[in-house]
Amino acid sequence: MIRHLFTLIWNRKRANFLLVTEIFFAFVVLFVLGSLLVDNYRKYTAPLGYTYEHVWQIDLDPNGQPISRQDATFERLIQLLKAVSGVRSVAATRSNTPFSFSDSSTDFKAGSKSTNSDIYIVGDDMQDVLSLQLAEGRWFNRHDEVAAHPPLVISQEARQALFAKGPALGKTVRGLDNQDFQVVGVLATSYRGRGEFQELEPAIFLRSAKLVGSADTTSFDQPRLLIRVQPTATAELEQRLTKEIAAVTGGWKSTVITLPEQRTIRMKFALAPMGGMVLVCGFLIFNVALGLFGVLWYNISQRRAEIGLRRAIGATGSRISGQFLGEILVVTTFGLAFGLLVAAQFPLLGVMNIRLPVYLASMALATALVYVLTAICALYPSLLAARIRPAVALREE
Amino acid sequence: MENMLAPAAHRAGDTVRPQAGPPVLQLRNIEKVYQTKTIETVALHQVNLTIGKGEFVSIMGPSGCGKSTLLSIMGLLDEPTSGEIELDGRPVQSYSDRELAALRNHKIGFVFQSYHLINDLSVLDNVELPLLYRPGVSGRERRERAYAALEKVGLGARTNHFPGQLSGGQRQRVAIARALAGRPELILADEPTGNLDSVMGEEIMDLLLHLNRQEGTTIVMVTHDEQQALKTQRLIRFFDGSQVS
Ligand SMILES: Nc1ncnc2c1ncn2[C@@H]1O[C@H](COP(=O)(O)OP(=O)(O)OP(=O)(O)O)[C@@H](O)[C@H]1O
Ligand SMILES: [Mg+2]
Repeated sequence: MIRHLFTLIWNRKRANFLLVTEIFFAFVVLFVLGSLLVDNYRKYTAPLGYTYEHVWQIDLDPNGQPISRQDATFERLIQLLKAVSGVRSVAATRSNTPFSFSDSSTDFKAGSKSTNSDIYIVGDDMQDVLSLQLAEGRWFNRHDEVAAHPPLVISQEARQALFAKGPALGKTVRGLDNQDFQVVGVLATSYRGRGEFQELEPAIFLRSAKLVGSADTTSFDQPRLLIRVQPTATAELEQRLTKEIAAVTGGWKSTVITLPEQRTIRMKFALAPMGGMVLVCGFLIFNVALGLFGVLWYNISQRRAEIGLRRAIGATGSRISGQFLGEILVVTTFGLAFGLLVAAQFPLLGVMNIRLPVYLASMALATALVYVLTAICALYPSLLAARIRPAVALREE
Repeated sequence: MENMLAPAAHRAGDTVRPQAGPPVLQLRNIEKVYQTKTIETVALHQVNLTIGKGEFVSIMGPSGCGKSTLLSIMGLLDEPTSGEIELDGRPVQSYSDRELAALRNHKIGFVFQSYHLINDLSVLDNVELPLLYRPGVSGRERRERAYAALEKVGLGARTNHFPGQLSGGQRQRVAIARALAGRPELILADEPTGNLDSVMGEEIMDLLLHLNRQEGTTIVMVTHDEQQALKTQRLIRFFDGSQVS
């Protein structure tokens, strides 16, 4: 019977060409969309590397204070904030805080290996503020002030890129301006400052409580702090902080935003285009389904005599619907075969910078979806075909 | 409107009816009423008919008198409104859709005026079709039996053609081969020569006669051609609204 179906479809290839094309396009659309979604899902479910609940971000504006005095003011501010009740820890950071739209990266070299890595310049308390987990070594502390080489803490991806399976602790890494750094700690996971939809890329932490490097007067970075507050903290604390900051800095302006709020903003930016695509593709697929449904319905009305004949020579009603369902599944298989051929080019040519398992998963997903879609579209017309009364169908001509 | 039909025994040729075997098909008090929204059409009224094994029966009558309806009911394609049908001595009323389909497949072959070949299948594939619906027949056996049936109708050389490449007479021969492939006990032919010119019609008629005489196939044929009907063993006449002898 399967052979019979293939023969029938093959002999009707011209009539089935449009259907095959339609299914082909539906598959490719679903495959591309699926790849993006599966890839994003993979990223979304990967560890972020830090926690963001009860973490607040404080943006500071020195409000015209001379650069030479900023560092001292900043130092004083950090000490003061640590003492405020309701605040657990305070750490300085550059503007590339979690979920912000700012990022910076630079090249690092260790022996023959090198990588371009996100770089985060942070204060000693950042481990507590973001609950960073270490797999090896230690986090920064004030003794690092006098270290021969400035210390680095690197993420698992950075470790992999620079040292592969070899030892990392204590190793020297060459970075910015050919300066040598020493690895003192390795994070337990990745660190993805740009949020859940960032690729799992190398991240490297540098220690600095200073606002601007001593010679670095070109930095346009606004001073920024991350603080971990007690879980009971409220908006009242926020107001209190703003006042205290103004008092201790002699007029710096500050704005507070919580990391969960910042994350929501970032999430919207990431999800909006995805949502748009899903909507457009959903509409497209809906149209394909309608078209499919129409064509199948029409096909069956065109083949009433054939149905009558098949019934006459021994087909049961369910055999008839099985045949029509089978036919559309064979047509679908042809469309999918072409689609998979095209889909296979994506990983081969590296079209979308997505890993192979993701492609394979979305191929499977799109294949299953297209089969389900066509089966659903074919179900009702096929049942109608089964109900055609042979004696009636055979007298029409 | 009521269409009455009445069987009229008629013997063509021989005065002695050839040894009609045990009944293949028996119809008792068959009524068929078509009900539409506005009108009720009585297509068959009190039909009693027995077809014996090995018989070649022709049915004649004016258009609309219920001949096709009768054939549909004989072929278990349609149910009578009332009355009983026995196939091989067994009543078929209580059969399910599935059982009826199996009976049609094993016991009955259909030939239609408009051939009803599937244009997208080769001649051979068309002829194999009934065997496709018969469980336990291997692909090879299907092929062989289809070839044999095509040989019988003289189309052994056209197996890879498509219906569109054949003449009307050839197409009808393919349809007959298809009916034969399942080796049915009974062939029901509804105006098998109706779409053919007299020469091709003659060919088909000769083929049917040959099958009946040489192979003992039981045939019931609806025809409008008096000459053809006279060649069969029994002629049953249906008349619009009246019963004739
Ligand atoms: N499905 C149907 N619904 C309603 N009426 C029907 C239906 N099928 C047949 N009829 C009616 O039943 C009667 C018998 O029709 P049938 O086709 O059996 O005649 P026929 O003898 O084969 O005619 P012809 O020689 O033209 O083929 C006709 O009056 C026809 O209109
Ligand atoms: Mg008719």
